[in-house]
Amino acid sequence: MNPEPYLQLDRVIHEKGRLAIMSMLAASPELSFTELRDALGMTDGNLTTHIRTLQETGYVSVSKSYQNRRPLTTCSLTPAGRKAFSGYVNLLEQIVRQNRPK
Amino acid sequence: MAHLYPCESVSLRGFTFSDLPKATLQGKVYAMESNWAADHLQVIRTLMERSAVYRRALAPVMTYNGTLGVAAAALGCVLKISAPVSFVLFWAGIGVVALGGSYCLVRRQALKNSEPFWSPPTRRVTEAFLPPLVAGFIVAIAVFFHTRSAPQPPGGVMDLLWLPLAWVVLYGCALHAAGFFMPRGMKFFGWAFVLGGCALFGLGIPDWAPRPVCAHGIMGFFFGVLHLAYGLYLYFTEEGKNAA
Repeated sequence: MNPEPYLQLDRVIHEKGRLAIMSMLAASPELSFTELRDALGMTDGNLTTHIRTLQETGYVSVSKSYQNRRPLTTCSLTPAGRKAFSGYVNLLEQIVRQNRPK
Repeated sequence: MAHLYPCESVSLRGFTFSDLPKATLQGKVYAMESNWAADHLQVIRTLMERSAVYRRALAPVMTYNGTLGVAAAALGCVLKISAPVSFVLFWAGIGVVALGGSYCLVRRQALKNSEPFWSPPTRRVTEAFLPPLVAGFIVAIAVFFHTRSAPQPPGGVMDLLWLPLAWVVLYGCALHAAGFFMPRGMKFFGWAFVLGGCALFGLGIPDWAPRPVCAHGIMGFFFGVLHLAYGLYLYFTEEGKNAA
């Protein structure tokens, strides 16, 4: 058993809520705050906290604009975030392969 | 990169093992939980699919179109619209009203939720919908001009039995194509149109049925009753999930 892949898992992404946000954003060019909140069933505060963490890590970019005079917050993955997410998924696949009975 | 398992000591069910070789113990602990990585991958896959799925205002759109379809079929029978040209014009008009109403419903929900109307899921669904719908539109135009210019125009709508059924099948294809980007039920809904339309092609029209009524009945059943039923089903099952 090689424990190395476990040790390389990105702790920022590995948290349940942040993993969900990263997964949603990985499949869409961008998603609005409300789309993420409704799809993931998170509270505004919870989602804001996770997005701020991801933003500080440089994985997610947040843009604020106005649409029809209403504020619109959209989130998207940065290139660094996409790379980190891809690396995370690759590590998970590696772990699954490693643990598969031969 | 931050690490999830720095592990100065490893804790398992309340016991801390700090004296054993770390790598060995970690390996055993993680082997016992070998499924979590696969579970994580499954969660990621599900969320990515959900992210790309279109859910906006499906129940109101379906209910609206269903009601409109049933009302239009009844109106068509009452007004005795039986000439092919009138039939094409009447249902094309209903189609425009249906599209316009659906657009308003979707746009209203987008505004209500402060979301962009032309979101990626909306774009994907529209792109999937378009080819069969355009095909149906072209067929309707061809029928319209052909029956107008034909030296001996067909006698009634049922001489063009294939037209409403072709619309039904093409619409089913459109629903099925869009179903790849919508909740799973949409594909089954599309299959209902395709198989129902093909079955009616095969069965033909019974002699006892008044032909114009039968033509409007086909349109009313498929574009009215089925939409209405699916809309009601969505109201009860998808309530609260109507975000794009």
